[in-house]
Amino acid sequence: MAPSSSNLDPEIFENLRLELRRGCLTLAVLTQLREERYGYTLRKALADDGLEIDEGTLYPLLRRLESQGLLVSHWREEDKRNKRFYRLSPQGKHTLNQLLAEWDRINRSLTKILQEA
Amino acid sequence: MSKPANPNELVDRYLQAVRFWLPKSRPQEDLLSELGEDLRSQIEARESELGRPLEVSEASEILKRCGRPMLVASRFSPKAYLIGPGFFPVYRSVLKMVLLWILVPVFLFIIGPINLAESGGHWATAWARTMGDLWSGAFTAAAVITLVFAILERSQVRDAVECKWDPLTLPAVQKTERKPPLLHTVAEIAFNWFGLIWLLLLPRYPELVFGPAHNFLQFGSLWHTFLLADRSARSLRAAPMCHHPRSPAMGLVSLRGSVHPNRPHHDLHPFHVERCHSPFGGPLVSIRRVA
Repeated sequence: MAPSSSNLDPEIFENLRLELRRGCLTLAVLTQLREERYGYTLRKALADDGLEIDEGTLYPLLRRLESQGLLVSHWREEDKRNKRFYRLSPQGKHTLNQLLAEWDRINRSLTKILQEA
Repeated sequence: MSKPANPNELVDRYLQAVRFWLPKSRPQEDLLSELGEDLRSQIEARESELGRPLEVSEASEILKRCGRPMLVASRFSPKAYLIGPGFFPVYRSVLKMVLLWILVPVFLFIIGPINLAESGGHWATAWARTMGDLWSGAFTAAAVITLVFAILERSQVRDAVECKWDPLTLPAVQKTERKPPLLHTVAEIAFNWFGLIWLLLLPRYPELVFGPAHNFLQFGSLWHTFLLADRSARSLRAAPMCHHPRSPAMGLVSLRGSVHPNRPHHDLHPFHVERCHSPFGGPLVSIRRVA
């Protein structure tokens, strides 16, 4: 028997929420890195726009995107501390444009579906 | 263990703990420097907000929010499977088949009887030895199967298997019978066992059927043919007891040999047994309750 909405396992909701968020985070990170940022300022910029992301999620994501050739990074000293700065690579810019077009298409479809419901 | 003198030392300890859990094969320093830089930036930002240096306890709150070092390291590590989701269903089926359907029957029906014969009929010794052999056999089989699947997972076999399958080789659709609920199955097994035990106890405890009348009634010979367990247990020595000299030999129920109709039996009170005639002919014994 399917559980009613009141006794739905919170873990199920949390998993669905994370799944929904995962793709959006990648898009948000790529968009923010159209200008050069280092990890902490990137996290702060995302949090200021309402998208909190913890260190354990952001840094593995940055590494993955860099290994996929979508980001470039370098170490530079700023305020007497070494920081790793990231920005989009030319390939990353092209991919971001494709992803934004896809996002726009999904968003329009979802809006239409929600209006029909 | 000494407490860290300042937030900076606390961060260094934290990074050392994360380093411990990171895979040694991957470059760690970049990763740890970046994580350390982020944590120090958070501490600095908090100090700017408060306008004073942070206490060690306040800095530890930031690290707590970041997460346990082992968990943080696991997020930085690539996902590692001993047996991945692609092979796992096959692995589970093979494991179940080998352990439950091959190993257990082999030990119960082949190794067990051999051990019993070798132990000279000592059940306890044979049982302990068989269980010991079964445990080590099951452990070895599980380890070998796991090792084989772990090797397959790391080889290119899975890709080859995934590429080679052909939908045209799929078997025809079979009618699936609806499985009964678990409670029904458990109840059925419990009642079957209860019934079997009751049936096996009947020859020894006839009161389970006759109640207080078991003092003068017993099972007729027909039942002793049916109750094989009773026959094998008591052998032929019990056979003459089944036949009352004054009752038909092949009845369902007969009088006990010590009971004589129409004679008073004080031990049978409040029942009275008397001989009468059946309207259909032949002898009949009447049992009635007396006040």
